[in-house]
Amino acid sequence: MNSYKFSDLSVGMSEKFTVTITEEMMNKFIEITGDVSPIHVSAEYAKEHGFATRVCHGMLFGSMFSTMAGVYLPGEHCLLHSVETKFSLPVYPGDVLTVTGKISEINDTFKTVFVKGTITNQNGKKVCKANIQLGVRE
Amino acid sequence: MNRTEIMAKLNEIFCDVFDDEDIVLTDATNSDDIEDWDSLEQINLLVAIEKQFSIKFSLADVADLENVGAMVDLIERMVG
Repeated sequence: MNSYKFSDLSVGMSEKFTVTITEEMMNKFIEITGDVSPIHVSAEYAKEHGFATRVCHGMLFGSMFSTMAGVYLPGEHCLLHSVETKFSLPVYPGDVLTVTGKISEINDTFKTVFVKGTITNQNGKKVCKANIQLGVRE
Repeated sequence: MNRTEIMAKLNEIFCDVFDDEDIVLTDATNSDDIEDWDSLEQINLLVAIEKQFSIKFSLADVADLENVGAMVDLIERMVG
């Protein structure tokens, strides 16, 4: 885990990690949230509606921005303020996602950091992007 | 930039930050009048104001802002 302090951060700093989406992760997400929409539960249903197989919940892989902030950038001292997320392509079990965060702006007065987040799949296609706003505990 | 022009730009910022096109600011408007105006949105407002007016606040500048009128006064002083 990284432990950047506010003074360690600068515009342009970036971090990335990869994660593989699994059926088990999706089933746990369903168990936690109760989102049993058939597109996420049934491969047959998803295929009938034009998808390759059951579709990963956007909020599951979008939650990787929490990991980006709390573990990587800035890590330990993070106080997450907001994550505005957009989902652009479906994600399926087995997809290998690369989660990237890059500091776009820092406000010294209000000790606030703005991070551009992106998630790309194993084909290099962007599946999700986010504007992340966070504070850093002293 | 006069006070009326500052208020007009400030109104646009508030509508954008709170995603509410119906906001109509007056000098007396304060955080009691806009439900979502909490400490986090206060930071978002001030950061947006800094960008819009090309100014830089200090914490002392913004510590005691009690309403929109005080914000306009502060911006007016800073933009000259």
